Amino acid sequence: MNLRPTRLAALALLLLLPLVAGAAPKQLVLLFTGDNGGEIAPCG
Amino acid sequence: MPVLVLDAGNALFKSRDSGEAPDAKARAELLLSQMDAQGTAAMAVGERDLVLGVDFLKKGTKKAKMKLLSANLVDGEGKPYFPASLVTDVGGVKVGVVGVSPATEAPRPAGPPVKGKPQPMMRGLPVQPAVAAEARRLREQDKVDVVVVLAAVPYDEALRVAAQAENVDFVVQSHEGRGVGIAQRQAFATVVPPGDRGRQLARLELTLDGPGRFVDISERERTRQNLGIVEANLAKAREKLASATDDASKQSYTQAVSSLEARQAALKKVLEGGATSSGRTHLLSYTQLGAEVPGDPAVQKLVERIEPPGSAAH
Repeated sequence: MNLRPTRLAALALLLLLPLVAGAAPKQLVLLFTGDNGGEIAPCG
Repeated sequence: MPVLVLDAGNALFKSRDSGEAPDAKARAELLLSQMDAQGTAAMAVGERDLVLGVDFLKKGTKKAKMKLLSANLVDGEGKPYFPASLVTDVGGVKVGVVGVSPATEAPRPAGPPVKGKPQPMMRGLPVQPAVAAEARRLREQDKVDVVVVLAAVPYDEALRVAAQAENVDFVVQSHEGRGVGIAQRQAFATVVPPGDRGRQLARLELTLDGPGRFVDISERERTRQNLGIVEANLAKAREKLASATDDASKQSYTQAVSSLEARQAALKKVLEGGATSSGRTHLLSYTQLGAEVPGDPAVQKLVERIEPPGSAAH
């Protein structure tokens, strides 16, 4: 089979897509409390 | 989104001398058990957590998952009372958490005296070197992606840590009860206020896309808004300059255009720099824990045993 360069490029792109998808930014949330000072029933 | 819950310390007692209050111990025990039950991974040991001594804290968290951290609190022989840090994986991000307590000039009793036993002592070593050493170790040995310092130290000390500890990303400060605020970027790290007295929950949303320093999204948004205002004023100034007829007006508008162009260039530079120098961003927000946030009836019962509705403390 004689693949043209354009087809080869498209194939390479398809093969690389999962790698690109895997490089998505990582996200997380840090929840903080502090200086509670013995409070057990905060009144807002 | 994966979540990590942390406490910056000074959680358990109202003040350094409140240990004699009849309900002080019960309050502190309830807080320790509930913080653990609610999934708090780590807490720094602050001055207002040490009111009933080191042993009280150790016993109160013996079976807990929550770790008490202090990189600089040592006994009379210089041995650490608590682990300096914790490393945990949060959604594929390796987070290192360091705890630090206030420095003390001289050793202090580490708890109430016990008859017939020698008085155990404690000492807070200098904050900055303790944090710098542990943060470096976390980066080099544990290869963490993010370093958070739970700094139960005075505000000025927390600012110094953020200005000098190059391996630290965030410094969450507790000591004076400063309440809510904005994220303050120092030379190396950003200081984050955690709120106070159980009235708020601070939420820091992180996005990591490669290495580098974290950039405050809200700061970029403010810069973008400022750029919009400057560009609108620049357009008006250019119109006025084009229609000015006398020399004095022309000179005045020329100066205004020049000044606004300089401001525009500076703001664009800030935005371009922020976009290219770091793939890491943070966004700080607070949830107010007011009456609109429903309580847990089981926890409410435990609270009311110590603080009945309508009591003076409430």
